[in-house]
Amino acid sequence: MRINVTVNGIAYERDVAENRTLLRFLREDLGLTGTKEGCGAGECGACTVFFNGKTVNSCMVLAVEANEGTIETIEGESSGGMLSTLQEAFDRHHAVQCGFCTAGMIMSARELIHHTPHPTVDQIQEGLEGNFCRCTGYEQIIEAVLDVTGGYTAKEELLHV
Amino acid sequence: MIHRFSYTAPTELTDLLALLETAGPGAKLLAGGTDLLVNIRNGLVKPNTVVDVKRIPEAHAIMSDNTKGLRIGWAVTINDILKNTDIASSYQLLQTCAHDLASYQVRNRATVVGNIVNASPCSDMAPALLCLDASIEIASSKAYRTVPVRQFFTGVKRTVLNPDEMVIGITIPIQSKGAKGKYRKLKRIQGHDLGIIGVAVAQVGDGMRIGVSSAAPTPVATGNLPLDISVSDAIAVVDALISPISDVRCTKEYRRFMVSEFTRRLLVEVRA
Repeated sequence: MRINVTVNGIAYERDVAENRTLLRFLREDLGLTGTKEGCGAGECGACTVFFNGKTVNSCMVLAVEANEGTIETIEGESSGGMLSTLQEAFDRHHAVQCGFCTAGMIMSARELIHHTPHPTVDQIQEGLEGNFCRCTGYEQIIEAVLDVTGGYTAKEELLHV
Repeated sequence: MIHRFSYTAPTELTDLLALLETAGPGAKLLAGGTDLLVNIRNGLVKPNTVVDVKRIPEAHAIMSDNTKGLRIGWAVTINDILKNTDIASSYQLLQTCAHDLASYQVRNRATVVGNIVNASPCSDMAPALLCLDASIEIASSKAYRTVPVRQFFTGVKRTVLNPDEMVIGITIPIQSKGAKGKYRKLKRIQGHDLGIIGVAVAQVGDGMRIGVSSAAPTPVATGNLPLDISVSDAIAVVDALISPISDVRCTKEYRRFMVSEFTRRLLVEVRA
C-alpha cells in the first residue's frame, strides 16, 4: 500500500507492505535507525516514537496505520547540530550507558514533560514505566528529567528505584 | 512480521459492518493493536485481512449525559479515559482501573473495548465495568443488540460476539454516576506488569459491589451487596465466586488468599 507520512517534518511517500511495522518502516525503509527494537511486544519501550503527537511503541503499530499521519523520532530531537536541553541533561547526568534505551527514554520523557511540566520523582517513574534500561541507570535518567523541569538540586539524594 | 495480510480502514460504520459480514473469520479488527499485532508476530493469529476500526470519527467519542449516563466509543483509548474530566468527576473507578493498565505508551494505543473484547481473565477494565453495570453495544450489518457486561464473557478469550458482529460502544448507566470505588492489582513490580489478581470494590448507589480479575476463567463480580456487609461475609461471597488456577505467576491458593486480603483492605478503604 502507498502511504504518505510526515517524519520529523519531512514528507515521505512510500510503498510499504501491509504487515510491516512502523518500527521496521522507520529503520529499514527510511534509514532512521535511532529508534531501536528490543522486545517487539510492547514491554521494553526502546521503539517509542511520537505518532500524531502521542507516544506509542512503534513495534505494535503498522506502517500503513501511519498513512496521512505525523511521526517524530529521536532524529528530530536535536536541531542544527545542537542537542536539545533534554539531551544535554541526559549527557550531563550520565543518563546514557549503552544507549540502547535512550531514544525511547527521551521520547517518553518529552511526553511526560509536555503533560506534566514539573513532575515529581513518582510521576517521572510512572511516565517512564514503559521504558526499560537494562544497564539499570534509572537514577541518572530521573535526575536528568528533574534537571530540565526545575526539580533537581545537586544535594538532593534520590531514592533508589 | 512474516505473516502477510491485506489492510483496510473503512471510514463509515456501515462499510465496516458490511465488510465484517462478507470477510468471514479470516478478518481481524485492529484498534490499538497491543494484543493483535503481538499475536500476529508470534504466529498465534493469522488473519487474511486486518480491518482498522479507528478511521471512523464516532469511534473516538466519549459522551456524558445527565439522563443516559456515559457512552464510550469503540476506539476510545485508556489514556482518553484518564484525561476525560467528566469521567474524573463522575466515573472515577474507570480511571482507577485504567491507571493500572500496562505502561503509558500502551495506554495511548490500547482501547477500552479492545480490553474486554479480548476477554482475558486479567482484563483491568472489566472489574470496573462489572461493578458499574456497563452495557455492551453490539452491531452487525443486520442487527443491533445490547448485552450486560455480566453476560458478555463466556470463557477464557471467549465472548458472546458472533463472527459478523463487533462492539461499537460501552454504556455506563446514570445510576452508576458518582460511584465511589478502588481497584488494587497484585503485581511483581510497581510499574508495567500483568496482574496476578485484581480486586475492585465500589459503592454504587445503596449497594456494595466487588469485581475480580485473574481469579476465574472470566472477570467476575458480585451482585449488589448490603452497604454495611461485614468483611467476613463479603469475603465469603467473593470466595464462592472465584475459581483460580495455578500458573507461572502464582498458585491458586495464593490467588484465593490475596483476593480475600484485597477485598478486606479495599472494603475498609472505600468505607473510610
